[in-house]
Amino acid sequence: MKLRVIRANLIVKLKTFYRERTAMFFTLAFPIILILVFGTIFLDRDKLSLDLYVQDLDHSQASARFVKTLQFNGNFKIIEVDPATDAREYAQKHKLNLILVIPKDFGILHDQRADNKTHDASVILRYIYDPSSTSVKTKMEYLNMEFAGMNQRMSGRPPFYRWEETSILNQKYRFIEFFIPGVIAMAVMIASLFGTVNMNTELLQKGIIRKLSTTPITRTDWILSNILYQFALAIISTIAMLLVSYWVFHVELHINGWLLGFILLDVFAFVGIGMILTRFVQEAQSAVAAANAIVFPMMFLSGSFFPIEMMPGFLQTFARVLPLYYINEGLRASMIFSDNLAALRYAAIIGAFAAVFFTLGITATKWEEGK
Amino acid sequence: MANQAKHAIEVENLTKRYGNLLAVNGISFTVRTGEVFAFLGPNGAGKSTTVEIIDMIRRPTSGKVRLLGMDVTKKKRAIVPRIGVLPQDFSSFDRITVRETLQFYSRLFSRGNADIDGLIELVHLKDKAEEQYKNLSGGLQQRLGIAIALVNDPEVVFLDEPTTGLDPRARREVWEVLLGLKKQGKTIFLTTHYMEEAEILADTVAIISRGMIIATGSPAELIENNTNYLVLTLQSVDANVVEIIRKLGFEPVHDNHQDLKVRVEHTEDILKTLNAIKDAGGSFLSLDVRRPNLEEVFLKLTGEALHAGPAENGEVG
Repeated sequence: MKLRVIRANLIVKLKTFYRERTAMFFTLAFPIILILVFGTIFLDRDKLSLDLYVQDLDHSQASARFVKTLQFNGNFKIIEVDPATDAREYAQKHKLNLILVIPKDFGILHDQRADNKTHDASVILRYIYDPSSTSVKTKMEYLNMEFAGMNQRMSGRPPFYRWEETSILNQKYRFIEFFIPGVIAMAVMIASLFGTVNMNTELLQKGIIRKLSTTPITRTDWILSNILYQFALAIISTIAMLLVSYWVFHVELHINGWLLGFILLDVFAFVGIGMILTRFVQEAQSAVAAANAIVFPMMFLSGSFFPIEMMPGFLQTFARVLPLYYINEGLRASMIFSDNLAALRYAAIIGAFAAVFFTLGITATKWEEGK
Repeated sequence: MANQAKHAIEVENLTKRYGNLLAVNGISFTVRTGEVFAFLGPNGAGKSTTVEIIDMIRRPTSGKVRLLGMDVTKKKRAIVPRIGVLPQDFSSFDRITVRETLQFYSRLFSRGNADIDGLIELVHLKDKAEEQYKNLSGGLQQRLGIAIALVNDPEVVFLDEPTTGLDPRARREVWEVLLGLKKQGKTIFLTTHYMEEAEILADTVAIISRGMIIATGSPAELIENNTNYLVLTLQSVDANVVEIIRKLGFEPVHDNHQDLKVRVEHTEDILKTLNAIKDAGGSFLSLDVRRPNLEEVFLKLTGEALHAGPAENGEVG
């Protein structure tokens, strides 16, 4: 191992990366765009505001108060529908998934009940809805919960069932804080795997490796400089992702040695797989296709974007054989939960995986034509 | 030690086999220190396989190769800093400039004091020094490849088909660079399938065909030892001239340019032929008399053309 040789090779790789704008975009900008898009979609989920179309046929003081309560307590954004229109036709025409219709005698019935004149007076609020809509059920459940609360308050008696929440975590975490460790693991995986596959196939096809084999650079120097290069890119990419996450979403994540450790293991594991791929699939296009076949199941099934508990049982079992799952879980254990023991357990598993695949990758890398 | 100084390369019974295919078949030869040695043969004859075994890109199946007095299968680390290689189909990093590429290779050889500007000057790339590799033409890329092969000031330079695929002008530019190296006294091992290249550059030529060396010597010796005739070429001849020459007992043939070529053994035969044409009232525009070239020697020795395709004899290059 010669440090100056590794340094020379590293400089060439970094200059090539800097001058290859497409590679720069996919390595640095793509994960940041993912964070911005998903982060915005799931921003402040607790303060979710839903559009609610309301047709008030009563137009009484009571119905106006009722709508205001929905607006403030239920956190709905109220849009009024003209009482003269047919609500069903209006919903169809404007492709609305829900209109809440307040009946004509709402005020009278409300007053009867409030003044205790008629104990069993009740009002029927009508949902005009589109059952094919995927989000309407959520909206209706929110409304049902709000009405249950209003009913309880109207009874004038304190509720019997109360509850309190005690989190097992030191702090509550948001979706974006769950999401970012997954994106870091995924971005490092993609850069390491595709970086190795693209570089090795290009250099093999163009015969540059043949030329390098006539110089003092050894296979070990070459592989180590590749690892260093991928690690440097992973660090730059991770710093960029974290800066955006802190700046835009004010995330609260723990940055410590585990982060560096998991990034390094991520790099070793997927550079190893990349080296194995380029031994068996030497054509650049086939190698990229093979790399895609590895990357896509990892991205979607190993819990990068959502918890694997949301998937069917057999897919959860499958997820647990994917190396990226252990990097995701390890990063979350350290960055969200500060659980060193869990992080150590995941690091041991991915470390063993990386050791095996990196060793196989070194063995598979051709440097000199065989006998 | 005296032998080491005399011979930069010694090859003995070298064989390379790929499965059932015998690419190099027990060849032996030596290359003197300071000479330009050309390996001449068609595609697929075994030239590149041989040079890649000597410059340690490939390993031999059997036989011995000593480079600078050392066994290439055992002393790669000691040999590598003392040789320079331009492999066949040389290529480099697309987005790295000429200067940066030379700096990179000089760092690999720990040549912090390498004269990068001097090398750029030597291969006439001064105007392109800051140009990225992907923007260079084929000829300029080959010249950069030669500069890279010289970055460690090597004692022996291997150039595997340095002008293949280049246009005639670019080829001549590369020859100029190689003639400059020859003046510097470097030992140069050149493989080529261009006869003219070998004739202009080489001190010694080895002709290889189907994995075997079939003749070795200086270009002049090869021609002298393997041909005993002169070639008379007549341009724009009358239709009856062919018949006149045939009556003299010679076998005239038309070449690609429709010139008439006649092989004769003695200078008297030329006079006899010209007189016969004159007496019969035949005419021609011009004439040329010359010794045969290496290509004709090659044709005579092997019965195959120098530019034969790689698949024709099923051998590996």
